Amino acid sequence: MSYLSLLRPLPSVLIATTLLLASLTGCGGDRESSSAERPGPKRAEELTIAVATDEGTLTPYTQNTGYPGSNLVALIYDKLLELDEKNQPQPLLAQSMRAAPDNKTFTLTLRDGVTWHDGEPFGPDDVVFSVDYYKKHTVADSAPQLQDVKDVTVDGNRVVFTLGSADPEFPSRLLADMRILPEHVWSTIDKPENATAEQAIGTGPYKLVSYKKDQGYELQANPDYAMGTPKLDKIRVSIIPEQQTALAALRTGEVDTWSRTVPEEQAKGLERQRGIKIVRGPGFASTLLAFNNARKPFDNPEVRRAIAQAIDVDKIIETVLRGRAERGNPGFWHPDAPGADPALGHVYDVAGAKEALDAAGATPGGDGIQVLDGKPLNFTLLVYSVSPERIRVAELIRDMLKQVGIGVTVNSLDADSVDAKVWPGYDVTKGRDYDMAMWGWSAPVMLDTTMLPAVVDSDTTLGRLNITGTKDPQLDQLADRLRAATTLEERHTLLGDMQRRLAEIVPFVTLYYPDGAYAYRQDVFDGWVYQDGAGILNKMSYVDLRR
Amino acid sequence: MTATDSPGSARDLVTGRSWRATGGYLAGRCVEYGVVLALALVINFVLPRALPGGPLQTLGGGGESVGLLSPEDQKRVLAEYGLDRSTSEQFLTYLSNLARLDLGNSFADGQPVVDVISRALPWTLLLVGSSILLGFGIGVLLGAFGALRRQRGKGNILLGTALLFDSMPAFWLGMLLIAFFGVFLGVLPTFGVGDGFDDPAALPRHLLLPVLTLTLTGLGQFFLYTRYSMLSVLSSDHIEHGRARGIPRRRLTIRHALRPALLPVHTLLMIEIGFLVGGAVVVETVFAYPGLGRVTFEAIRAKDFPLMQGTFLVLTVTVVAMNAVADATYALIDPRVRTGTAP
Repeated sequence: MSYLSLLRPLPSVLIATTLLLASLTGCGGDRESSSAERPGPKRAEELTIAVATDEGTLTPYTQNTGYPGSNLVALIYDKLLELDEKNQPQPLLAQSMRAAPDNKTFTLTLRDGVTWHDGEPFGPDDVVFSVDYYKKHTVADSAPQLQDVKDVTVDGNRVVFTLGSADPEFPSRLLADMRILPEHVWSTIDKPENATAEQAIGTGPYKLVSYKKDQGYELQANPDYAMGTPKLDKIRVSIIPEQQTALAALRTGEVDTWSRTVPEEQAKGLERQRGIKIVRGPGFASTLLAFNNARKPFDNPEVRRAIAQAIDVDKIIETVLRGRAERGNPGFWHPDAPGADPALGHVYDVAGAKEALDAAGATPGGDGIQVLDGKPLNFTLLVYSVSPERIRVAELIRDMLKQVGIGVTVNSLDADSVDAKVWPGYDVTKGRDYDMAMWGWSAPVMLDTTMLPAVVDSDTTLGRLNITGTKDPQLDQLADRLRAATTLEERHTLLGDMQRRLAEIVPFVTLYYPDGAYAYRQDVFDGWVYQDGAGILNKMSYVDLRR
Repeated sequence: MTATDSPGSARDLVTGRSWRATGGYLAGRCVEYGVVLALALVINFVLPRALPGGPLQTLGGGGESVGLLSPEDQKRVLAEYGLDRSTSEQFLTYLSNLARLDLGNSFADGQPVVDVISRALPWTLLLVGSSILLGFGIGVLLGAFGALRRQRGKGNILLGTALLFDSMPAFWLGMLLIAFFGVFLGVLPTFGVGDGFDDPAALPRHLLLPVLTLTLTGLGQFFLYTRYSMLSVLSSDHIEHGRARGIPRRRLTIRHALRPALLPVHTLLMIEIGFLVGGAVVVETVFAYPGLGRVTFEAIRAKDFPLMQGTFLVLTVTVVAMNAVADATYALIDPRVRTGTAP
């Protein structure tokens, strides 16, 4: 038999394949490639959002992810305050708030005429109940920060929070984060993690009408919403785990937006299609090169600084992220986040890096790898195998460090295996087992100044996110002072001091913060509002809030 | 574990010659299946716990939230799900719950595992069942045709195409079909099942692409099995003999060649049906299809122990059951097994 005959269908298959791929990337299918910037409707009857995973029954206790889980729960549940586009707390269930000068007592006046989705009236007792419930049932991401609330009292239509110690960020961190639960529903729920979709009753702008596991949700506008007017009559949420499928559905108009940031290589093709728009803005999620500070030679700040200097961050952003990222602040804090020190900048200086290594005592080795304290500078760099972006960055870093005589082996493992080495048991008291790792913290970290102490404090009961094993007495002292500071100004000053100290001792290299890029059907709905660092899935996008 | 291992016993089973021997055979087989099932149950318990990580991320709120919990709070979270107890204690609970057919509640959203599985199972049966039947039917027909035309162009094109689809990753083919029928032509939906069983009229449109993907990637092996088996039968003595006796060609092909050629294909069909419930993880994920493959995928991702144990259990039981069916039906199909002349 002639095997060549097997190849006969090949040309036609190849042509078909090329044609299909072309349509996927947008060169064939979208004959109209105008990018008309005509604004679309600010209200719509129906909107479909694609998300990647099921988010359970959409209650504060059953959502599966912080993002977009919390963002979907926010359609149903309200908080006392809500963060605006610039992440400043604004009234929501509370129509006003008064903080005592010592920032220990906060008095909130609740809005009148608010009802729960089942028609029961909302009142201050629900607020007190929620605080007690969250304190009792700690399995929720807004629960851990309530320990400091010593007392909640009701005074007519007012609720008074008394804290054990002063906390100027209490409104943005807690009051704008805690979803208020209806006492008449939740008082009978003993196991909140088993709450059903029928129990997903809030005061929010949308009511949950149906939930089909692994398929999606349907929400209907709440006509009695007291805090504003819903812009959409109906919101559908479709669960599409695969990125390519979600983007195909966006092209066909089966969905109107996708919860994730569009990868830059897909963005161009999408933007060419009429009706689709991509809105970009700062993203507060960080990408870091973490050093294990407890392991030699990373315990030496000279070595860490040399490595940081050898990394050309601009090149990384240009080649891997096609320019769509903010350059890392050596002090970790995103330049657009409140309290950042914008004067700090990354220094790329290969000659300086070599000098620093020499000064630390490194000597040339046989194979171009420097030797320090008798050991060649060969290290393993861990990276999540699910992130092609970070793998490419890791490979670039490997090449850059080779220039200064440091050998790097990139080891890409599944996320759980990397976590098990960098952050065993998600408990920093259990130590760590790695040289270097590509790491990152999510966007909400930048909205709370006390998160920086959590990332670097050497006291593991306080530095709960100190996965690098950073140990610096000066930083610890600044962290203590920041936590004890009673005004926001004071906290921002100390946050600036901490950033400058970080830039000096470099316990990790803050490489960049990828921009948010959210694609949506502009022809269907154009009422999206970009919240700095968090994207477009927020209450301001779905509701004309009364302020 | 097919009946060919013990043709004598199967003969007894069918002819009923010796009740005692039949009873012994059945008991032996039951013990075998019992041992396999017991081993599988142990593995189902061990596998989820052998994965790196563990369910704390899912249980503790995900992201940084879990790390910000104090070690005591982390312990409390684990205790709430019984994960603070020793592995042997957990194993005993698992067994005693299993004995009561209690599969527990999903870690991810607290829903009973039985509900989650029974909601997803019909979808998988519909998708994978129809794909296997289509793949089997088309694969056998084309395989027989390919064997008869093996020396000619058409047969070779068929073989090439079958090899091509057989080696194509289902994921990739699914993406291509979405891009072509969904985006380029815009005639079929790209994902999901619409309103599901509430709107049965729209269902076929949603099913078409995933079924097509699974059928195309699955029919290659039915084609190849049938073709190869048919070729070896066609060159055997009894066909030569039949031809010499002047048996009509059609009758010779279908009755004397295709029928015996289907024996290995039958085994393949049973194996395929056995993996039916877990075999569509990739396609269900690509098409955002709400079947058991997706449930399994999500459960593994979230380290949702009860849900993983539940889906693995369904998978194990189906595979073992289909092996038993294959065992039982083999004797019915192959006359040699019945008469004890099987090799």
